[in-house]
Amino acid sequence: MRRRLIAFWFVLPAFLLYTVFAVYPLLSALANSFWRWQGTARAGFAGTDNFTGLFTTFPLDQQLWPAFWHTMAFFAGTMLMQNTVGLLIAVLLAELPVARRFLRTVFTVPYLVGGLVVGYLWSLLLSPVFGPVGAGLDAMGLGALARPWLGDPATALPTVILVNAWHHLGFPILLFGAALAGLPPEYGECARVDGATAWQRFRRVTLPLLLPSIGVISILTFLGSMNTFELVYALSGAQGNQPTGPGGATDVLGLLFYRIAFAEGGTNAIGQSSALAVLLFIATFVVAVTADRFIRSRS
Amino acid sequence: MRTRTGFAVLALVAALASAACTATGSTDDRTTLSLWSWRPEDVAAYEQILDTFHDAHPDIRVEVKAYKSTEYNTILSTGLTRAGGPDVMQLRAYGGLQPLIDAGDLVPLDDRVTGLANFEKSSLDGARGKKDGKVYGVPLEMSTFQIYYDKDVFAKHQIEPPATWEQMLAAARTLQGAGITPFATAGKDTWLLPLYADMFAATRYGGPAFEKKVLAGDVTFTDPAYVAALDVLNQLKSFFPKDMMALGETDVQTLFATGKAAMIPEGSFALAPLKTINPKLNLGVFNAPPPPGAVVTEPLQVGWVDASYGLNATSEHQEEALQLLQWMTTAEFGQQVADTLKQVSLVKGVQPADPLLADMVAAYRAAPTPYLMLVDFRYGTPLGSDLQAAGLQKMLLGQQTAAEVAADIQAGISQWFRP
Amino acid sequence: MTRTVRLAGYLLLWSYAAVALAPMLVMLLNSLRPNADVLSVPLGLPSTLDFTNYETAWTEASFSTYVWNSVLVTAGAVALDVGVALPASYALGRFGFRGRAVLTAYFLAGLMLPVRLGILPTFHLLGSMNLIDSRLGLILVYAAGGIPFSVFVMTAFFRGLPADLDEAARLDGAGELRIFARIMVPLVKPAIATVVVFRFVPLWNDFFYPLVLLRSSDRYTLPVGLTQFFGEFQTNWAALFAGLVITTVPLIVLFVVATRQIVEGLTAGLGR
Repeated sequence: MRRRLIAFWFVLPAFLLYTVFAVYPLLSALANSFWRWQGTARAGFAGTDNFTGLFTTFPLDQQLWPAFWHTMAFFAGTMLMQNTVGLLIAVLLAELPVARRFLRTVFTVPYLVGGLVVGYLWSLLLSPVFGPVGAGLDAMGLGALARPWLGDPATALPTVILVNAWHHLGFPILLFGAALAGLPPEYGECARVDGATAWQRFRRVTLPLLLPSIGVISILTFLGSMNTFELVYALSGAQGNQPTGPGGATDVLGLLFYRIAFAEGGTNAIGQSSALAVLLFIATFVVAVTADRFIRSRS
Repeated sequence: MRTRTGFAVLALVAALASAACTATGSTDDRTTLSLWSWRPEDVAAYEQILDTFHDAHPDIRVEVKAYKSTEYNTILSTGLTRAGGPDVMQLRAYGGLQPLIDAGDLVPLDDRVTGLANFEKSSLDGARGKKDGKVYGVPLEMSTFQIYYDKDVFAKHQIEPPATWEQMLAAARTLQGAGITPFATAGKDTWLLPLYADMFAATRYGGPAFEKKVLAGDVTFTDPAYVAALDVLNQLKSFFPKDMMALGETDVQTLFATGKAAMIPEGSFALAPLKTINPKLNLGVFNAPPPPGAVVTEPLQVGWVDASYGLNATSEHQEEALQLLQWMTTAEFGQQVADTLKQVSLVKGVQPADPLLADMVAAYRAAPTPYLMLVDFRYGTPLGSDLQAAGLQKMLLGQQTAAEVAADIQAGISQWFRP
Repeated sequence: MTRTVRLAGYLLLWSYAAVALAPMLVMLLNSLRPNADVLSVPLGLPSTLDFTNYETAWTEASFSTYVWNSVLVTAGAVALDVGVALPASYALGRFGFRGRAVLTAYFLAGLMLPVRLGILPTFHLLGSMNLIDSRLGLILVYAAGGIPFSVFVMTAFFRGLPADLDEAARLDGAGELRIFARIMVPLVKPAIATVVVFRFVPLWNDFFYPLVLLRSSDRYTLPVGLTQFFGEFQTNWAALFAGLVITTVPLIVLFVVATRQIVEGLTAGLGR
């Protein structure tokens, strides 16, 4: 009984802080999504109107799906880069000892920098007029390759994805590195005795053991993509109430949410942004939990 | 060990306490007014201007805070009702300030600021409540939008400011042949696009006459004349920078100011920044000649009442704030706006300091046309200017036709607009 | 592994090192050049060591204030986070009581919750407490958001400690507080270090919350200050680069000092 009381007092501060400032706002967003709002005042029960409104009110209806698909492309592209390039570099790093520590540090540096800084940095680097990237291509005689990467709807999203991959690649490198270091050496030894080639050893022994890491990276990338905001905000130069990027080419759900929540003159901003928040929340949670189950069952 | 834990707790408490206390640290007994603006580039000029006010009102100190223009509305709408908000702040004109009025965030100034008599009645329209007709802001300035050209570049290629559409296109071709971008236009800062459309083609749809008809419900934005006007930008596209959609306003200002472009469609508010980038710039202005098929056959000058200064209803220093606003209605302040901010003051009798600005104002008095989407179609969401900006960007990217853009504008606006 | 493969491998590693580092290097170099040079020759070496851009950013654009605010907010939030999560993790990790599993799950659920989606209610909540435009408000929100990760890492660590440690102390008649503060906390120092370093980075970089919750530029943290700076000094690219360097350097220093904790933090993330 006494221990229970002690436990209670030990847990209480964390419980209160977490409940009031993290859990309560999320629950209240859920409640808010079922009400119609007039500024900051409730103006009647809305049922599911806020949800259907997202899909039927012009011009929201034309912004939601593009933002969704851009977010998915953002996730898929980043995840692919992390689990291929990131994995390759981690494996190479594990095999090749020269300057390993230094290289690992170098690879991790971009990951530490914030999304906003990365976005601003690359927006300067990629500027078609004064950008060092264009200047560099010119200097190498490759000036013909230079283009307004962020100004062309065809290249804007891929550019944002590549910049994001550049930003986050340090994470899988470190994570795979830690996982590789944790693998029992005898697995590789056995295979080596069997006369397997390096590739076969990787495919049959190392890769299956890395599956949990690949899963974790994918889940975290998914969570990150659903929340993506800073990078695109800084890189594409967010524009008031309009979809971001040329012709809305780099608009993502995180930005759409921010726009609806803090839109100028949007009287039902609370209702509609909460509805979108709830949808995003459900999507994120379901995918994360399902993927987690799947990975656990496989490993 | 015990002392160490004690220190850790102390450090934590100290960190929290110092975070809680405000950092204003005002040691004197003057009242500090907080003034918000959406022009960070003007902060230094404001401090200079406010020195005059401080001399006359030693008991008041005004602190200027400026936010990025694109973030300003968001910050203001959430900032007005909370602690840390402004006392006096720049307000968007026309529809832009209605949500603040509806929310009761602003104080009507009609009976409180006698100096409002120093303005023309029409100058106050930008700061008027749509429902009650009361004035909620002291007009700061009006803006006009036109084409600036580099006189030296024009002279070098023997080009005169064009009087007809054909002459303008011929000039553009000459410049392009010489490797100079004819028009420095920015597509990344989409808010400029509706202004480009009105500047090049208000004559095509008919300017103020069209405004009357569309407000009366006699025509809609799908009217062929309006669609044709939107399409004018398409016809000029080859004379814009080819990477226009990757360029922001300051990028193209720099292009123009460094001689890489010969003309730039810009606002009267851009005069000072252009001169800052290149003080030696030899500037002229003209308005686009009417394009083929134009309804109005003489050039029109786009202009509108822009910013005004309003009073936050929750300000704790109403009295002092009113003194500041009263001062903003004087010729003394108006002249400073003209001289130091290099903008067009609306205070009666104040003359623009720069002859170029005087030209713009004169052109506006002679043949005015409104910045249509700002003046008339920002009274509901989706905002007309947002719809037009997003649509024009898609049009210039080849994703939509002018007719589709017009249809989208109409569809969006008809959600709230009643003739 | 053959020699050729080895060589190709090194080549690849060093090429990617160049890709990872080049943008940062350009940022550093351009921050040391006069603005006119940066605009006319975007890619070049500084001819002299010129720190005017840093002066511009530090004093004219008040980066000195932003850095102080960032330090205060980040340190305050991490301290509060660890301060409350430490006893909670101890109880959850070492005490058997009913509801423990549910309570643990309640905390850990936060790892998967996109906390940002509650931004509007958070805003109004802080508004009702008069904590808008306050660094304390930001600290509370940040600390709350960090609790799931801290509890996750430290509970695992407490659980891993041998069972007889506290039992022995208890038999000696030591009080619970004393056991916690004198025996347990010193043993979980590595976990604390991991949490501190690992929470520090995202809070230092966060832009979303201060963008919404702060108003006065004298309370801005670095990311919001940077956005203000990019609006104000749009044409002074050299100064913009200097501002980016100022925002980045503390993180790189932190990483060099605490590489081990960062790697451990990531590995901890692997376990779940």
